[in-house]
Amino acid sequence: MRIVVGIKWVPNTQAVRIDPETGTLIRKGVPSIVNPHDLPAIEAALRLRDTVGGEVIAFAMAPPPAVKGLELALGMGVDRAILITDRVFAGADTWATSYVLGNAIVKIEREYGRVDLAVFGQETIDSSTAHIPGQVASWLNWPYAYYVRDIQVSGDSKIRIVRELEEYVEEYEVELPAVLGIAMRALKPRPVSLYNKLRAKLDKNVIITWSNSDLKLDPRCVGLKGSPTIVAKTIDMPEVPRKKEVYKPRDPRDGAKWIISKIVEDEKLRELLVKKLWGE
Amino acid sequence: MNIPSKFDTIVVGAGPAGCASAYLLAKAGFKVLVLERGRGVGSKELWGGKAYAQPLRDVWPELDKEAPIHRWVSKERFSLVWGERALTIEYKLGRKVAFTTYLTELVNWMARKAENAGALIVDEVRVEEIVVKDGKVLGVKSGDDIVYADAVIDAEGVNRLLLEKLGLVDKLSPDHVALGVKEVLSLDPKLIEERFMLNRNEGLAWFVAGDITLGLPGGGFIYTMRDSISIGLVLPIGPAARAAEKGLLKEHVSSLVEAFRLHPYFRSFWREADVIEYGGRMTIEAGLKLMPRKLYMNGLLVVGDAAGFLVNTGYTIRGVDTAVISGKLAAEALIDAFNNGGPTEENLKSYEEKVKKSYIYSELKNHSGIGDVMSDPFFFQKIPQVAVKAASKLFEADYEEPKLIRSFLNAAKEENISLLKTIYKLGRVAGKL
Amino acid sequence: MSSQTSRLKTMKLEELLQRSVWDVDEERHIEILKQEGLRVNALILLCPMGCYSIAGDKLIMSYEGCVECGTCRVLSRSDQIRWEHPKSGRGIQYRYM
Repeated sequence: MRIVVGIKWVPNTQAVRIDPETGTLIRKGVPSIVNPHDLPAIEAALRLRDTVGGEVIAFAMAPPPAVKGLELALGMGVDRAILITDRVFAGADTWATSYVLGNAIVKIEREYGRVDLAVFGQETIDSSTAHIPGQVASWLNWPYAYYVRDIQVSGDSKIRIVRELEEYVEEYEVELPAVLGIAMRALKPRPVSLYNKLRAKLDKNVIITWSNSDLKLDPRCVGLKGSPTIVAKTIDMPEVPRKKEVYKPRDPRDGAKWIISKIVEDEKLRELLVKKLWGE
Repeated sequence: MNIPSKFDTIVVGAGPAGCASAYLLAKAGFKVLVLERGRGVGSKELWGGKAYAQPLRDVWPELDKEAPIHRWVSKERFSLVWGERALTIEYKLGRKVAFTTYLTELVNWMARKAENAGALIVDEVRVEEIVVKDGKVLGVKSGDDIVYADAVIDAEGVNRLLLEKLGLVDKLSPDHVALGVKEVLSLDPKLIEERFMLNRNEGLAWFVAGDITLGLPGGGFIYTMRDSISIGLVLPIGPAARAAEKGLLKEHVSSLVEAFRLHPYFRSFWREADVIEYGGRMTIEAGLKLMPRKLYMNGLLVVGDAAGFLVNTGYTIRGVDTAVISGKLAAEALIDAFNNGGPTEENLKSYEEKVKKSYIYSELKNHSGIGDVMSDPFFFQKIPQVAVKAASKLFEADYEEPKLIRSFLNAAKEENISLLKTIYKLGRVAGKL
Repeated sequence: MSSQTSRLKTMKLEELLQRSVWDVDEERHIEILKQEGLRVNALILLCPMGCYSIAGDKLIMSYEGCVECGTCRVLSRSDQIRWEHPKSGRGIQYRYM
């Protein structure tokens, strides 16, 4: 089975601060990381490979420093990594990005053979659109399932997936090839291993770089030019003043009830919740 | 997978000591692997802010031209503070002895030098064990993976998890280490130069003693960087922990650092500054006591902080230059060993001999009594208090100004310190400082 | 994200922590194993990042803000606190130190 996993190299939003004078984001000194929601996707791909064999290819459309993120994926055990980098790709919205990623998958198929599955983190911490996996599926005309927590191979060219939603669990059988969005925190990502990291550093062929001269996409369809999204206006959300309240509960249940009384506004719902939890 | 089955040397830790070793070994043509637990090199580094250049030039003569040097220290200041009052002396240096920079940047440069010389640096890997069989070090282990080498250089730093596992060192005692807590304050270089009266590319190092530590042993530091100022406190952990348990220390250490930043005397230097980073690290207080029972064994050498090679003189802490030099001595000993039958215990003995002949060891010995001085309230409390008081008598007299000696004697008397005791105490520590 | 300014105002520890950067692992690398005999006040006041705090009658350790300095390690025995470095390069990411 050949699985590709998309990776986004994002600013560590924990480190992003707002300039108190200008109200704009301070990006200086903010290190980038692999989008944390991509890690369960990498883990899902690796688990599948470890059970049924095949290879996992990580790919990212990003400027060159993103190699560091691909190294992390390789360190976790991904077989090879492709960095898709070109100035013409800069400034892309999700439409233009997914167009490049979809075409990259087509090229991966040409170079390495049939791709059975493309997995992505459900969303990214820097924009949270959750557009990419669905849009890639559209470009490829592949089926798409999202909020996926578990994948099992269920026969020739078929997988069984579990989607966990707030109220219920769904199981689907999906024809391959397919695109999956892996739910946040669905799986615990494995750590980087010494051998994998060594291989990533020593094997010169393990990280491949493609530019648009490899993908040969129409420059009008990629990057800023290919992005129909227009940011009309951004509004700073006023910071919600935080109130501190100290409550000394008699016991844990009393404390829990007090918290419920603070966070659940609707009285009926509150009573229902308390009744369901403690039968009172 | 085409992983080389064996390296000549594996260095654990890409800090100053590890990078110096790796650089010199790679330059001599040996196959070196450096394993670093952080992401990239430098992400786990924190120091005061000042490095002595000459020992670093011994390894990298191109240092002055190439290294990410923020400012050459042209002024050293020393202050005794008590309450709002402060007594400061300043020394203007005559040559380029030390420079300020971020250690995160400096080790990055050192690692690049090692890489360009041919060393392989692999980050994001936590070494969990030094693999030993029949008294010989075979390599290192991380997770289930073992990589083999003829020799391992342990440059793991002050937290010596690997050496403890090997039984080469005991667990650290709170009385042998100190806690450094630091803030980095961003400030326009022009303002830095104006406020501290510095020329461009010139910097200032400032050591502060007195009640900024709230009666705890220790002191404060201030270093000017290119466009920021590093400030912080160093507090020996043993006494601080006892004070916390006795209820004498009531505040969190961060509020001590904040009070230092906002101290009426100091804050005027960085009024506009914004805190851009906050952190802490543990540092060595009593270097000699931390030296492993042996600095070497069959296939292993210990360098840098892991070996206790940090000199605390009471007014300055030297750890990076000593780390680099120990890394250099280890590389030299190892190269000799490789050329004479291999890194056996017998062949690596020369490392310990080299260390004992070097300035690292003589400095550690010279300043080994500093722990006693630092933990004596007479020095970190009474001296600043009396000095500031005497100065206040001299400079805050409305009508009659006492004679210099009288002001000191009166201040000492008010603080219940006899001149004889002072002379005796100073005489005793004169040799230690 | 925070927008508070620090200039000449005392910053609370929580604000100071926002000035530094972590890539927090899901897996904790430091863990209290045994409450008995812990040097509670020393741990609470000296851990520079304030990772130790009291919850009810217990000392708890929040590893997310840890800078891997080792202070809590030297203040305890290995059967009281399990202490390791984070894996995969995670944990504190110093930039200006």
